[in-house]
Amino acid sequence: MNCTDARAKLTAYLDGELADERGSAVRGHLRECADCRRVSEDEAVLRDGLRRMPTMDPPASLWANVQRELAKAEVEDAHRPAWRRFVSSLIPQWRARDWALGVTALAAVTTFVVFRASRHSADVTNTPVIATTAPIASEPVTPVAMSNSDVTNDLKHEQSDRSASYAQTADELMHVATDARATWAPAQQQEFDHNVADLRAAITKAGEGRPQQAAYRSLIRYLQRSAIRDDVAFAGAAL
Amino acid sequence: MEMLYHQFKRRVFGMAHRIVGASDSEEVAQEVFVRVFRGLANFRGDSALSTWIYRLTVNAALSHLAKRGRRQEVGDDSLGELPAPPATERDPGLAARIEAALAVLPAGYRAILVLHDVEGLSHEECAAILECRVGTCKSQLHKARAKMRELLGPQLGDHRDARRASSEDAE
Repeated sequence: MNCTDARAKLTAYLDGELADERGSAVRGHLRECADCRRVSEDEAVLRDGLRRMPTMDPPASLWANVQRELAKAEVEDAHRPAWRRFVSSLIPQWRARDWALGVTALAAVTTFVVFRASRHSADVTNTPVIATTAPIASEPVTPVAMSNSDVTNDLKHEQSDRSASYAQTADELMHVATDARATWAPAQQQEFDHNVADLRAAITKAGEGRPQQAAYRSLIRYLQRSAIRDDVAFAGAAL
Repeated sequence: MEMLYHQFKRRVFGMAHRIVGASDSEEVAQEVFVRVFRGLANFRGDSALSTWIYRLTVNAALSHLAKRGRRQEVGDDSLGELPAPPATERDPGLAARIEAALAVLPAGYRAILVLHDVEGLSHEECAAILECRVGTCKSQLHKARAKMRELLGPQLGDHRDARRASSEDAE
């Protein structure tokens, strides 16, 4: 291993991300090369310094300003026409990928329609009255065996990754909602516990994949409402 | 709602502070929390809540910088003006010098260093927040640390010697 190779792997090595042999090779090079050892020590000092950076407390005014801005935004919402509120409510649910897919699909459909229309018009104007050539004998087309195992595996992993992600989000929101729960009256706490237990039971009962994800979404929605607006969560409790 | 604010306030404010600088950090943190509370009801949960909040913070900070089109608040020269570090391993001056060096890094490098090294997130989490591949994330971190070493230069050397001396004492 030379210095260039060793330095390229230094960050991963110091963070403990290199498997045995590659880590051993970097370690071996560092034993022999004083320059790379110095760079490695500098990077270790830097990494430790970054990890020990103090946390920062925001100024006390931040929370008041956030509340003021939220109130201002709600007043603006009240003054906006209903159709604009409806459009705005759709937009946040569309991520960049969704927009890209939508635009691509629209472009594909438009191209197809235009192509078909132009073909149709060309056929009408260019159709020969008498055929002058014999039809070309086409070679038989051999069907290509398409393996879909990779795609299937990808989809399976995507489904399980998504369920795991929902589970993590539900846990995080549960943590927030539990903090809020501590401030509620006993009857509200009991109702919250009961609702959460029902929603969790529904997740357990649901089949893997989409049904389970839908059940997770119900729990997440309920926890969001509980964490943000206690009163809504209790008034509705529409699970 | 307030619970959620208290849970994330230090991380959001700290990240904003380190990416956009002290003067605009409160404004960016405020914008992030308004987006969080306005968007929480529509948050679909297909990424972790903390990942989503980090992503909002990084995006708000980077777009704030783009809008401001600012030149860096701290120039390279100001690093030279910082006092020489005393030769102790736990010198609080190192943190100040690192903060100053962070401020002159390109914003993208700053974001990855803050997420990975300061906040202690994994490469996978950083990649999800920055919406890039894990490999890109690793190479950005490598380049960012190299740039930091270059900026801090001899100042790191003093700490390196102190670190070496204290590890020899321990042996």
